[in-house]
Amino acid sequence: MTPGKWLGVLFLMPATLFVVVFFLSPVLLTAVFAFTSMSTATGVGEGGYLITPSTLHRLAERGMDRSTAESLGATTYLVNPETLSRARAAGVAAATLDELGQRHAGKSFDGRRGFERALKSLNNRPRSVRALKQAARHFETSVLNRTFGQREDLLAALAASGVRLSDEDRERLVDASYTGWTWTTDNLRRMFGTADTAQVLANTLIYVFVTLILFNTGFALVLAITTFYLPTTEAAVFRGIWFLPRITPPVLYVLLWKWFAWDTGFLSTVLGWFGVASRNWMLDTAFNAWVFVVLINGFVGASMGMIIFSSAIRAIPEPLFWASEVDGASRWQQVRRIILPQLRWPILFVTSYQTLSLLTSFEYILLATDGGPGSTTEVWSLAAYHTALNNYAGNLQYGYGAALALVLVIIGVVLSLLYLRIFNFDALVARPRIET
Amino acid sequence: MRILIENFTKRFGADTVIDAMNLEVADGEMLALLGPSGCGKSTTLFAVCGLHVVDDGRILFGDEDVTGWSPQRRNVGVVFQSYALYPHMNVFDNVAFPLQVKREPGPAIRRRVSEITAMLEIEHLLERLPAHLSGGQQQRVALARALIRRPGVLLLDEPLANLDARLRLDMRSEIRRLQRETGITAILVTHDQVEAMSMCDRIAIMDRGHVHQIASPADMYRNPVSTFVAGFLGNPPIAFLSGRVRGGRFWLDGSTAGIDLPGGCEALEDGREIRLGVRPEHVRPADSGPLSGKVSFVETHGRENLYDVTLNGGQVLRSIQPVRGDIAPGQTVHCRLDTDKLLVFDREGTRL
Ligand SMILES: Nc1ncnc2c1ncn2[C@@H]1O[C@H](COP(=O)(O)OP(=O)(O)OP(=O)(O)O)[C@@H](O)[C@H]1O
Ligand SMILES: [Mg+2]
Repeated sequence: MTPGKWLGVLFLMPATLFVVVFFLSPVLLTAVFAFTSMSTATGVGEGGYLITPSTLHRLAERGMDRSTAESLGATTYLVNPETLSRARAAGVAAATLDELGQRHAGKSFDGRRGFERALKSLNNRPRSVRALKQAARHFETSVLNRTFGQREDLLAALAASGVRLSDEDRERLVDASYTGWTWTTDNLRRMFGTADTAQVLANTLIYVFVTLILFNTGFALVLAITTFYLPTTEAAVFRGIWFLPRITPPVLYVLLWKWFAWDTGFLSTVLGWFGVASRNWMLDTAFNAWVFVVLINGFVGASMGMIIFSSAIRAIPEPLFWASEVDGASRWQQVRRIILPQLRWPILFVTSYQTLSLLTSFEYILLATDGGPGSTTEVWSLAAYHTALNNYAGNLQYGYGAALALVLVIIGVVLSLLYLRIFNFDALVARPRIET
Repeated sequence: MRILIENFTKRFGADTVIDAMNLEVADGEMLALLGPSGCGKSTTLFAVCGLHVVDDGRILFGDEDVTGWSPQRRNVGVVFQSYALYPHMNVFDNVAFPLQVKREPGPAIRRRVSEITAMLEIEHLLERLPAHLSGGQQQRVALARALIRRPGVLLLDEPLANLDARLRLDMRSEIRRLQRETGITAILVTHDQVEAMSMCDRIAIMDRGHVHQIASPADMYRNPVSTFVAGFLGNPPIAFLSGRVRGGRFWLDGSTAGIDLPGGCEALEDGREIRLGVRPEHVRPADSGPLSGKVSFVETHGRENLYDVTLNGGQVLRSIQPVRGDIAPGQTVHCRLDTDKLLVFDREGTRL
């Protein structure tokens, strides 16, 4: 390589680093997490082994003989140095323990009855029934509800408790009792298999396309065209006003909407004068929630299209407008026959760009309705966020959330590549689109 | 249709660009608005077609006052300097546009488009986009679009400025032919005096928002009312000599040469400062005479040569002569002027 090329590489380093750290690695991690069962319960580190009643239930479901599964949950009584010293530490009489040790060391008793009988038959038996029952407790051993750090610990405890398992059953048990995360494709199966997904998908399509058509493209066009025909000062003021939502901090902006829609807010107050019962207009019904979601996002999204369309209209050579006027075209015909055809590329560009940004942005919905009421305004990206990072149930499912996010990442990358092709950005930069 | 411009005034902010202008274009006439850049030719045109609001005065088409009418209502055909063809429409749609926006029936539009494009010889280009046309073809499309509604008035804003010299010549006669055939009243804006003289029935010559003279080209060339008009018409341009009147003759400043004045100027009092306009074709070489000078520049035009003669005293005379090889730069020559063709102006430039 020539020194010049090295210099080029050097200059690209910061950008490359930035892309790798802030774009590539999150995408890669998302893809990795999507194929794990990580959640709050599993943690992200290594897990242990824990058998709970629900583990037994699961084992039975997965084909373990029901009685075998139940036997795993059974309690046995073991007499060994460990249990003896445990009992001693708890204050059971030393004489009782010594005799028990001499007579039954290494024995295991299957049920409470048997062990209590053995205790009773001791010369130095506990004096009361209560003391006897209490002493017996220290010898209970069960693999249930105990966390084992390693697979070997679990198996040793299992062997000690006297439960015999076939190799197959043992593997099942190890699998089912593992509390850490595992590699899995369950997330994808679950995503394509549940009705929730269909609902979220429908919400997403409504959100993206209604906002896009009504506001980000439609209203932006209306604003650009009307301000084009206004005198310059008025036009600038008007455009400035419509630019405000974009530059207002989102939290503040949504708060204003909330004040507007609250049951003691502006809308309720004003409608109250006409005898309409006050209510939270935003979260009252699913329809209202949608109206607000679209308005809140639309007012923010319209400004970008407005700016792009405005400058595109102003780039149309003025003689075209003169010519169309002397040719007899009305304002409306001018818009339809001259302006709109010349805006074909900007419209396509804004539409595609905004599809992507609407698809991936959820901050305004999160702040406004948080997906409610119910989950009627829960869109895909918000669902991913709720699943993985923040929900009421408290069990954050990182793996499933990542799988949801991965779908967005894939759609985003595919659409971006497609747009790059359609727009042929190099050519767009190199050559003006308007020919005279 | 007659066009009458009465006391037309146009201001841009505090600038009065046109001040109380009066102009009449007779029905079927083609009038040139001629003047230097920035004199208000386009402004006048825009007022006639309604794109500019008139600040004062009236504009009449025939006997109808159209001052307050929108451009849409005026039925004026305009060819803009840049042609202003709609870049996203093909030639057919460009030409048909004025009829389409009037919602005329399709067959009628098609008939009229083929008629007008045949007249302009562009019927083979109907499917093309403007970007794929030559300058001359674009010009014809613009003309077709301007004429398709059979407007009462045709306005042309420097229609030939973007064409090369050869094409300009062709289009000149083409536009004139069309104007004659359709009998349309036309205003041609130009700053090219050759264009104005060769294409139009009459010329209105403008300077800084004022019309100096309105006359037929020949008349204006022969009888300019001012040095401005005289200087604007004619190529190569007229030369002006300054001097004084003494004894009914003109005495060149800084020289002892006396020149006879044309008839009608005998009454000028002695000592009056005047300027003498001499067109190059009225200067001929002579063997001897009072007027002599050095040839300072020779330019050949092919058939003719143009000579600049710096007279004794420093003023410059121009002469155009059939090509001849016997006069070279630096040579001293004598000149004779055609006395009755000389133009006499006062010091301010007004014709006497
Ligand atoms: N929209 C405008 N605002 C302000 N001044 C203007 C405007 N249009 C024209 N003018 C001024 O009015 C004067 C006349 O302009 P106009 O366009 O009529 O000139 P023109 O004779 O057509 O010149 P050219 O031969 O260069 O086209 C110029 O001084 C110009 O600067
Ligand atoms: Mg002009």
